[in-house]
Amino acid sequence: MRSLLYSFLAISLSAPLGIGLCVADDWKQFRGPGALGASAGSRLPEQFDGASLKNVAWKTAIPGRSVGGAIVVGEQVITTTGDGMDQRRIRLLSYDAKTGKQRWEQQLVARGRPYCHPTSANAAPTPASDGERVYAFFSSNDLACVDLQGNLVWYRSLATDFPKAGNDVGMSSSPVVADGVVIVQVECQGDSFAIGINSTDGTTAWLIERPRKANWSSPTMVKMPSGKSGVILQSSGDLVAVSPSDGKAMWKMEMGCSTTPSAVADGNRLIVPSGGLTVLDLSSAGAPSQLWKENKLNPNACSPVVSSDKVYVVNRTVLVCGDAFTGKVLWQLRIPDAKQIWSSPVIAGNRLYLFSMEGACFVVDISGEEGKIVETNQLGDEVLGSPAVVGNAMYVRGATTLWKIASE
Amino acid sequence: MYVKLFLARSSVKGALLASLVLATPMACLADTNSEKLGMLRTIRPNNDTDVKAASSAVKQLSESSSIDLIDVLKSMKGASPLGKNWLLGLANTLHRKSPETTKDALRAFLTDASQDPEARYTVFRWLTDGDAELKAKMLDGMLQDSSPELRFEAVAKVLNSSETLETGVLQTLLEASRHPEQIVAIIGRLGKQGVTVNQSEHFGFLDTWKLIGPFDNVGSRSFDKEYAVETDYADGKSLAGSYNGKSGAVQWVTETTADAEGVVDLAKVFNNEKGCIVYGVATVELPADLDCEIRVGCINAQKVWVNGKLVIANEVYHTGMQIDQYAAPVKLRAGTNQILIKVCQNEQKEAWAQRYVFQARLCDSTGKAIATK
Repeated sequence: MRSLLYSFLAISLSAPLGIGLCVADDWKQFRGPGALGASAGSRLPEQFDGASLKNVAWKTAIPGRSVGGAIVVGEQVITTTGDGMDQRRIRLLSYDAKTGKQRWEQQLVARGRPYCHPTSANAAPTPASDGERVYAFFSSNDLACVDLQGNLVWYRSLATDFPKAGNDVGMSSSPVVADGVVIVQVECQGDSFAIGINSTDGTTAWLIERPRKANWSSPTMVKMPSGKSGVILQSSGDLVAVSPSDGKAMWKMEMGCSTTPSAVADGNRLIVPSGGLTVLDLSSAGAPSQLWKENKLNPNACSPVVSSDKVYVVNRTVLVCGDAFTGKVLWQLRIPDAKQIWSSPVIAGNRLYLFSMEGACFVVDISGEEGKIVETNQLGDEVLGSPAVVGNAMYVRGATTLWKIASE
Repeated sequence: MYVKLFLARSSVKGALLASLVLATPMACLADTNSEKLGMLRTIRPNNDTDVKAASSAVKQLSESSSIDLIDVLKSMKGASPLGKNWLLGLANTLHRKSPETTKDALRAFLTDASQDPEARYTVFRWLTDGDAELKAKMLDGMLQDSSPELRFEAVAKVLNSSETLETGVLQTLLEASRHPEQIVAIIGRLGKQGVTVNQSEHFGFLDTWKLIGPFDNVGSRSFDKEYAVETDYADGKSLAGSYNGKSGAVQWVTETTADAEGVVDLAKVFNNEKGCIVYGVATVELPADLDCEIRVGCINAQKVWVNGKLVIANEVYHTGMQIDQYAAPVKLRAGTNQILIKVCQNEQKEAWAQRYVFQARLCDSTGKAIATK
């Protein structure tokens, strides 16, 4: 009953039209339902602590390293890791959401290049799920599909299929799944493409060429005016919407987009990290028109997050809030003592949770005219992935630990 | 149905008949399983027909009552890297179904060094998962294991056990280790104990190169342009003369690097030239034919030829560099062998995009340096 209430609140308060918004209790992709990074009906503890385990329901150490987020599918919290020699052992792991006990594991060997900057990891992308299967992508361009019991369904080595694909700084684009197709964006100086792969058997549904420039952003699912699904692909040279079923372009705009933070679809507005933020109107057919553009809303690494008609971006260590309809900057808040922030923030109710790379979580009250840090919590592990929020719990994938934060 | 038939007949004749009937479908199943495993072993890259068949085969094998986990692991031997992952995924599924019942067979499999190294390492993990004591005990005998992953873990276990390992222990680890990071760490610790190891020699880096350049690469347009150095090399001509470079005639210069990681600094030799290409030639004398690997680290776009054959090509600028970044198997011959490298620099202006360097070495398939002169 409570989960139904959360579903209702999440849908009605944030009114997203993104794909994958079936059950608010699930967080099945990078930045969750609609890729909004928000769960309006959730209430999370403001205080928690990795050392004393205050408001830590459970934590579990995970071998290797990950900088991606965890997803939540039903009662399972699913994450990936790369461990062993050169992080070549790529693993999908499932944990019971209530107890933290491991449910299953699947393990393969990276067939592409696992090398990356020490800050990153081979397990950088966040996995995705359609509720039936899990799709895990790695920097080494290995793509594995398992069922919800961890059984291998299919596997693709995109590095074998496209030998010049890869980036030794590390790749990080997360997959999305819609209309029975898994979409993966691989852009680098070598083989660059977006590929749609049939979710049931791993065969190629479509393949399109993409610019041969390094890009770490992820595809974003949107609902087009026709009611059909669309996949937004951004790069330093273009912004394109393609059909997930056949990869055909629905529209294309020549514009320079950021190559790290990803776009957000909030209803019929597409919020694109481009020249700061550029917001496009998706309400009519054809290429969208620009609603506003604001260079002071400049997300340098984290993806923007939208809630209650406000948009939030993190520019290095400054949290900036803007009006989602006009782009007007409403307030700025410097995050003290944060050296680097990679983790895209999440919003639960009227609190924004922002993790620094060092594992400090800044809880920001966003209900007033100014943002205010109400708590600073330490987890004691690096955090680069974006947390998952389901119900009144937050699942944080640290580099070496998975945490469930919930009130005691 | 067959079981019912067996129970219904009490006569010897009936039992024999039933046995035949029982044996035949089981044999058929085994044959079918074998066919499916064979298909997974040889799955082709970028081939939807194979992917679809493999997906179907994995599902059927996962649900089969006649499939044997050890058979799946054994089938990984000689399989393609792609096929191995399908088989590994299947093996994980089967192992999860019966983690306890096959331990004796798994132990026997692990000790059989002729089996696939990745399969053996997977079994090692299954057996030692959550049992640190058993893991440590097993690793004690694996310093020379043929599996690179087991060897890596065995070296790491000793190396991380103490900050004050004796010199003899470190030297044993150095002889055993094949992983660049471990080797560098071991040599560093030996150095602190007053034991000097020539790191470049240990890795087998090629330290002496004849270099020529710069040639034009403005706009990064000449990665595939065949300058006369390349065509002369391909034609087997002498490379001793001069060539027309980016700003006039250029001649060969000899550069010997003293860098511990064999890094040749082209920015230094060629005055931080940008938008250019430099060629390097190294020669290696061998007493007999040899199958080995050439391994290259390079922050810039590069091509590598060995005895006239193109073996490495990466048109990638400033996305990282490390020892053994790119590797390719090569056949060297008795006598003189020639290695040609083409290193391309672009015109990026960022501070982190100014490096113009490469390193190259020859080693066996495990990473151990081969003896050259």
